[in-house]
Amino acid sequence: MKRQVDVVYSLYFVAFTPRNGSIPSCDTVYSIPVHSTSGLVNRNMLGFRSICRSPRPRLWQLSPLRAVHTAPDSTVSPALLTRARLLAAEHSKLSDRLGESFDAKTAKRAGELAPIAHVLREWVTANESINELKSLLEDPGTDAELRSLAIEDLESSHGILPTISDRLKKSLIPRHPFANLPCLLEIRPGAGGDEAGLFASEMLRMYMAFCSRRGLRPTILKQDTEVGASDDRLTEAVLEIEADGAYDLLRTESGVHRVQRVPATETKGRTHTSAVSVMVLPSFSESSSETDNALNFEDPSSDYYLDPQEVRVEKMRAGGAGGQHVNKTESAIRLTHIPTNTVVSMQDERSQQANRRKAWQILRAKIAETRQEAREQELVQLRRGILGGVAKMGRGDKIRTYNFGQSRCTDHRTGITIHNLDGVMDGGDGLDTVMESVRIWMDNSEVEAMIAEDMAKQTNVK
Amino acid sequence: MPRIPYSLIRRAHRENPLLPLLLRECRTVDSARNELRWLYEAVREKPSPTKWSWLISMCRLRSRGFPLQYILGNQPFGELEILCHRGVLIPRPETESYTYKSAQILRQRNEGKSERKLRVLDLCTGTGCISLLLHTLLAPHFQRLSITGVDISPVALGLAQKNIQHNVQLGHLAPHASTDIQFHRADVLGSGSDSLTSIQSLLQSLDRCTSPPSASVQYDLLISNPPYISRAEFRNGTTARSVRLFEPELALVPPTVTETGTPEDIFYRRILSLALELETPLAVLECGDMAQAQRVVALYERLGSNSHSSAEIWPTSERDLAEYGFHETDGSRCVIIQRLLP
Repeated sequence: MKRQVDVVYSLYFVAFTPRNGSIPSCDTVYSIPVHSTSGLVNRNMLGFRSICRSPRPRLWQLSPLRAVHTAPDSTVSPALLTRARLLAAEHSKLSDRLGESFDAKTAKRAGELAPIAHVLREWVTANESINELKSLLEDPGTDAELRSLAIEDLESSHGILPTISDRLKKSLIPRHPFANLPCLLEIRPGAGGDEAGLFASEMLRMYMAFCSRRGLRPTILKQDTEVGASDDRLTEAVLEIEADGAYDLLRTESGVHRVQRVPATETKGRTHTSAVSVMVLPSFSESSSETDNALNFEDPSSDYYLDPQEVRVEKMRAGGAGGQHVNKTESAIRLTHIPTNTVVSMQDERSQQANRRKAWQILRAKIAETRQEAREQELVQLRRGILGGVAKMGRGDKIRTYNFGQSRCTDHRTGITIHNLDGVMDGGDGLDTVMESVRIWMDNSEVEAMIAEDMAKQTNVK
Repeated sequence: MPRIPYSLIRRAHRENPLLPLLLRECRTVDSARNELRWLYEAVREKPSPTKWSWLISMCRLRSRGFPLQYILGNQPFGELEILCHRGVLIPRPETESYTYKSAQILRQRNEGKSERKLRVLDLCTGTGCISLLLHTLLAPHFQRLSITGVDISPVALGLAQKNIQHNVQLGHLAPHASTDIQFHRADVLGSGSDSLTSIQSLLQSLDRCTSPPSASVQYDLLISNPPYISRAEFRNGTTARSVRLFEPELALVPPTVTETGTPEDIFYRRILSLALELETPLAVLECGDMAQAQRVVALYERLGSNSHSSAEIWPTSERDLAEYGFHETDGSRCVIIQRLLP
């Protein structure tokens, strides 16, 4: 009985392990078990133990969905191509109109579409040259020298086509509405008590180091620590990164970060698991509000408009004498957005006005993020009907693990593992690599969803 | 004052050995922590060894009740940074709220009259905080402003003058503020008999300076934060120790003059009669508490109220109280007297 099981395992292993690094096609998957049913060679060669450790996850490479973002595919789905053509047509129309009269709104839209039109043109030329070369080769009249040149050219064209296709797909991804904005980064300890607070303050340091290294200036808007044995336990921190586009850079960080280590407070040497939640919020500074209409929080027609009537403003009030009788040094302010019950309180500054301003800034950011999230959620619901489950990581999901015992940092969205944890915690290249991989993952899932959506639309039309 | 529990002191000490010093004055760890951070920010730029000794001596000073604003040398007031030093009253947050409210009323009353010159008289100006903040709030809406600040203390007037320059330099005040705002020395209570100029003679001499010379200049707003603490309240614990010991009594307690009625209201009697004499359409007076504000309203009704004017106590509505951080029953209030618009 046991032997039989072993055989099944080995069969499984053979069936799903790619040979020569290539992914087996469906045919090979079915044909191999037939060949190996009688032979125990596999078992003898590999041993049971090694089979148990066999890399099962290879399975995913067979999934048609995942294949899209493992290797750049030279084919662009007709649905995407149609979309690209439509947008390119719109671009040429807009640039014609711009030639006649200048309009800031048109110029902006044209600027957004320009890269799509450009990449599409590249893609078309690459395809045309391939077709031309092919017809040259098929033509029996072509002489040998020209033929060898054509073969060479064809190879190089085939080589660059996948990258162009990939760029075309990426360029079609709609830009995140907050991509150009500066951002606020909120860090809060989750489950795990003191240890979570300690790690939260380490994460604050990590992001500050990361920003400084990138030449961005992080300012601490708010930093609340807990009174206790150690002075480093954070209860909440808000970091402001004022550079434009900081939101796009850091939006990979939203979610629950998990830490596994023996805490400094642990006496028996047990490993603890704690969580810290990070939220990246768009920052609507007063100056940028005039330029972009859609993001103008003072415009009632904007999606991110906050009605002052819906916000309850409360200032810290003390009983007893006031005015000249006493000399209070601090002024705390609390804002409550009544419809969503979002509360922001601020008391870090000496100036009442500064506290008020910062509190409003954080409140606006929070409301905008929840509204954006709700919209994305709608989209996910829509796509889920088509795709049957799209990976969408919300802020409630665990996205990354920092394991100190193994000195590794693993991102659960991409599966990337970095073994230099100190480098990551210093906000160094390790963190860069992880964030970059997540960005690619985000782009790819976006492309996938887009293809699925367009295909679904086409089938609906048919 | 309730004792600080020993456990709290111990906890604060574990967090930072300097916190217990600040706890004596702040009473809660949260505000002590904030004050420590502000003190640290003030010395952060100094070289390392002297930095710490500075910080420690600042905390010691604070633990004796020395006001934070005198240690740091300034206090935020609206968008301004008001310089502070001993001998001049520190601006209070309530005063900030009254100034905002006054500017708001003034704008409503003068809607669409942006080209006319607005005149403001600020009595007992101290650091000049009200005058300066009014300038920043009104300058974007009125092209021509004239703000006159009056105080009895030469130390305060010197500081007020310095505050104009300081805030112009910081960019919080428009450069023309230094000509729009004038500070003068006068005694609001004085009758003019002694060496000090009385307020009446000061205003007369100012009238003569205007071109073209007119009988009397119309002020659009008369605002004042006069001394209003009674001698009893100054001594019986109502006034905080830090205020009693380190802030100028001159700016807090009105002098005892042999006159009928409550001695702490003497400034209001003078200022109200001045307002009636000058026929100012709007007067805003800061008071110590609700009871005093009610006395001021009663005083106004006795002195010369008529059907064309109203006197109200602000803030009283629940929304205003919460938004500006006023307690429902306790704390300072102001009296707003305005001539009704036709």
